[in-house]
Amino acid sequence: MENIKEIKKGELITEGKKFLDAGGKFVTAVCNDLNTQLEVTYFFSINRGVEIKGLRYIVAKDEEVPSLSATTLSTVLIENEMKELFGLKVKDIAIDFGGHMLLAEDSPVTPMLKTKKDALKGEK
Amino acid sequence: MASRTTVPFGPQHPVLPEPIQLRITYEDEKVVDVMPVIGYGHRGIEKACELHEYAKNIYVCERVCGICSYQHSTSVVEVMEQLWPVEITPRIKYLRTIWAEMCRTHSHLLWLGLLADAFGFESMFYQFWRIREKVLDILEMTTGHRVIQSVNIVGGVRRDIDADQKKIIIDTLELVRKESEDLVKVVINDYTVKARTVGVGVITKEQAISLGCVGPTLRASGVSEDARLTKYDAYGELNYEPIVETAGDCYARAVVRARELFQAIDLQIEALNKMPEGEIAVKVKGNPPANEAVMRTEAPRGELYYYAKGNGTRILERLKIRTPTFANLPSVLILLPGCQLADVPVNVLSIDPCISCTER
Repeated sequence: MENIKEIKKGELITEGKKFLDAGGKFVTAVCNDLNTQLEVTYFFSINRGVEIKGLRYIVAKDEEVPSLSATTLSTVLIENEMKELFGLKVKDIAIDFGGHMLLAEDSPVTPMLKTKKDALKGEK
Repeated sequence: MASRTTVPFGPQHPVLPEPIQLRITYEDEKVVDVMPVIGYGHRGIEKACELHEYAKNIYVCERVCGICSYQHSTSVVEVMEQLWPVEITPRIKYLRTIWAEMCRTHSHLLWLGLLADAFGFESMFYQFWRIREKVLDILEMTTGHRVIQSVNIVGGVRRDIDADQKKIIIDTLELVRKESEDLVKVVINDYTVKARTVGVGVITKEQAISLGCVGPTLRASGVSEDARLTKYDAYGELNYEPIVETAGDCYARAVVRARELFQAIDLQIEALNKMPEGEIAVKVKGNPPANEAVMRTEAPRGELYYYAKGNGTRILERLKIRTPTFANLPSVLILLPGCQLADVPVNVLSIDPCISCTER
């Protein structure tokens, strides 16, 4: 996809801050399950929202990743969501719901991760 | 020092038709802290979209919300159309624009009714919703359905608008405009409404950007940002500029929606008059390719963001939905602290929250 810059997870805050300092706005983040890894893309809108730019990193499922919420509070909900639904280990979220923003105590754990059954359904 | 008390506002509350909880801490009558709690009705729609073939995602996604169902349907078909990519005809673009603005019209009428109800103007609430029925009637006439239109398909739309329908739509919209003007004047100029909304729940321009606000909530804070500026569908050929207010308070958010109501009527009439002849669907072959795409549309509450990733099979690898209320929800963190307890319902209502969208 155009306009997505590949970064290392440690660069998220400095690279994200560049968009925000230039008048950009955080839009959302998307997490994808790549079997042994997670692909995380943060999207920002610039130029009155006309253009979209993204920052993407790929990490192992057990790796800790930084939060952008200290820079912009707008990432709080989506970072909690990725943490709960994908098991992305986001550390230091400004408001951490402790794994229970969407999921209850007895909910399935990391329900958005792909299972073998899901993969079979997608065969041609 | 006054003692602090924390009370649950919701998930069942008269001002909230859907379940969300705000844990409000107050001191005397003043709110000092708030924590939004969601998750009461999460439906796992994104997961469902990864389990069914792509065409079925339309039926799933248009049920994310009952008010902006059409925008969800448009977003999901257009994000999938970008995966191939599929080039749709200008007539399809115009038809989608007309129905989208119809939905904005009825959504803003619904919200204005709720605002009137929040102030105890029950008759006005009935009147706004009576007018809204006329818009639902033309939606039913043109799509076959009042709430979930189900008229979009990948590569086009199921129904066309003929010359007879065009005349009925324009006549109805003129009537909606006339009747709404009378009511909106009362809401916007009423002493009680102004006393309860002017200077209440101020979000500054910088805060609105920093919190990631969208739609009327963002534009009422002086930010001229709107997904329609990307010129998707027919917006690039219509006389469109975002409606912006600068005060950033509850009143400004009401004024933006009131003005957008009339702008949506203008856009529909302009689109109906400019709509070119052409096919209403193009053939789409095969499965969505291994590709990824983003589609942004402007729903009544703000920018709706869809991300899709195909893998060459009939099932998408990933479909992500970022709804407007999900983006506007962090704004309650600065809207409520400092306000009077009695102003909480109006403040919450002013962002036009849709929990159904948030709990997709």
